Amino acid sequence: MATFQRHRLTPWLLLSPQLAIVAIFFFWPAFQAVIQAFYVQDPFGLGRAFVAFENFTRVLGSAEYYRALGTTVTFSISVALGAMALALLLAVLADRVIKGAHGYKTLLIWPYAVAPAVAGVLWVFMLDPELGLVSAWLGAMGIDWNHQLNGGQAMALVIMASIWKQMSYNFVFFLAGLQAIPKSLLEAAAIDNAGPWRRFWTITFPLLSPTSFFLLVMNSVYAFFETFGTIDATTAGGPGGATRTLVYKVYEDGFIGYDLGSSAAQSVLLMLLVGLLTLLQFRYLERKVQY
Amino acid sequence: MATLSLDALSKTYPNGVTALHGVDLIIDDGELVVVVGPSGCGKSTLLRMLAGLESISSGELAIDGRRVNDLEPAQRDIAMVFQNYALYPHMSVADNMGYALKNQGVPRAERRRKVEETARLIGLEDLLDRRPKQLSGGQRQRVAMGRAIVREPKVFLFDEPLSNLDAKLRVQMRIEIRRLQKRLGVTAVYVTHDQVEAMTLADRLVVMNGGHIEQVGTPMHLYDQPASRFVASFIGSPSMNFIEARHADGVLTLPCGTHLPLRDGSPAEIGDAVCLGVRPEHLVQVSHSDDTTLVTEVELVEPLGADTLAHVRLDGQAELLVARLDGAQHIAEGERLYLRPDPERLHLFDPQEGHRLAAPETAS
Repeated sequence: MATFQRHRLTPWLLLSPQLAIVAIFFFWPAFQAVIQAFYVQDPFGLGRAFVAFENFTRVLGSAEYYRALGTTVTFSISVALGAMALALLLAVLADRVIKGAHGYKTLLIWPYAVAPAVAGVLWVFMLDPELGLVSAWLGAMGIDWNHQLNGGQAMALVIMASIWKQMSYNFVFFLAGLQAIPKSLLEAAAIDNAGPWRRFWTITFPLLSPTSFFLLVMNSVYAFFETFGTIDATTAGGPGGATRTLVYKVYEDGFIGYDLGSSAAQSVLLMLLVGLLTLLQFRYLERKVQY
Repeated sequence: MATLSLDALSKTYPNGVTALHGVDLIIDDGELVVVVGPSGCGKSTLLRMLAGLESISSGELAIDGRRVNDLEPAQRDIAMVFQNYALYPHMSVADNMGYALKNQGVPRAERRRKVEETARLIGLEDLLDRRPKQLSGGQRQRVAMGRAIVREPKVFLFDEPLSNLDAKLRVQMRIEIRRLQKRLGVTAVYVTHDQVEAMTLADRLVVMNGGHIEQVGTPMHLYDQPASRFVASFIGSPSMNFIEARHADGVLTLPCGTHLPLRDGSPAEIGDAVCLGVRPEHLVQVSHSDDTTLVTEVELVEPLGADTLAHVRLDGQAELLVARLDGAQHIAEGERLYLRPDPERLHLFDPQEGHRLAAPETAS
């Protein structure tokens, strides 16, 4: 014990790089955003005036904000569930493969290494109304694809691109979760008259619930915040705001509209919203997580 | 209730490794057969093939005369107790036990009744609502047993079910398994590497080595008439002593100079060189040395209470011999000990092949 006391500073010293990064890139900007949310500032940063809650009342009073909220809910639920369901399917399939398993796994993990903007551009090229390969196939099948004009198709595009991007992350966790389930449990279930489908739903799926819960939280956060790059590179919130999610609106109002006060207020609201969502998930869903 | 018949059952893995070379065995209705052998002998593979968890490469497996080679585990009407118990961690004890019944479509009320009945039988009534992780090792073992019993299967399969328990509990559960199996009268196959467990549980013992069956018989038959040097060394604890000896005209000559006359003269197939086997409990201590005694020096003494094991050195013998002596007697290390092999209890094996040479008469 005595030796530890003498080195009381060492742990802090070792932690300091990480703490500094968190402080400078997370706490400081978040703190600044909270301050900013109570001021109105001119676009060039030359002067600002304290307006108390006016930014918030303005945001919460605009129909546009609720439209973005609705878009975000549709988008986030589709992305989180879609990315998890597809990743689980792929993980179950990859877990069964014996020959060349390593190759499949590597290929399935790869998309995670692609930057969101690059992933977005990739999808834009494939589905470009004029040049896109996939949109040409769709055209041949009688589907007129144009996400630059059709809001629903634009939404489908950003959802697909975002799912594709996140699937690898989920895949890794699901695969690890599947491999952590003792084989003897599934063998016991097979002897206990459970067919493959039943085994999956009564044994594998419940035993994956800690993984699924963790991924649900991570995917919600991803869908809310980290899909900005993908949306910006594909539809830029358009057409006509059809893919303008809350995080995209924060960016648009702040960096394009130069309404820094409103943008800051929105980001504070978004922070609270995601915080609340995560809290709810922990409070109500974690209790159902098995063992 | 069922008979099991194994006809030239073999297992070859896709990588070319053969784990089982043509196993033949008939298991009678209500019989408890214990398969014993060192790790890697194929005993677990054999059990998993019976369960349907491993495919059968060649040969035929029949339950009650019906070929089941290609049936799924669920369709074979067997229950298995796993080494790690394989309890479903997210289900209560009652749900664990009722899982198979539920899958079979047994109505809830009947399921509940059967689970409770079985729980009473094995003393789990008070634990039905617990999760497996809230149970001790012994209780988990009981649940695993209960899960097998509640289904009333044709055959029980046990895969080293006691190996994760402490020594005292193991003895207790061993007795309980034996009692339950007799009471329910269900055919059972029990795999273990523990020869004490094997001896005490088995109606019949199957000793396996390198994917072959070495010998099948009652525990006492295997103890008295081991068919090979391998079986002789595997059954009985401590293990049988082996001494390389020369043979001429019905008399064995040991490297130390001792002469042992064979009781029934020379068996026909016996050659010049033989391997003599004597169990530790068949080395009798005598007070004086003569032509038929082994003159040994005590190197290590293990008092067990009732018995004392003396590890002794014999001239011309690389390995120490073990003698099981009366525990009341004091033996010191370094002491000289005269031992006479019981002439009724000598075993002769082929020095190369290890198979039993037509034996001197033994009590059976």
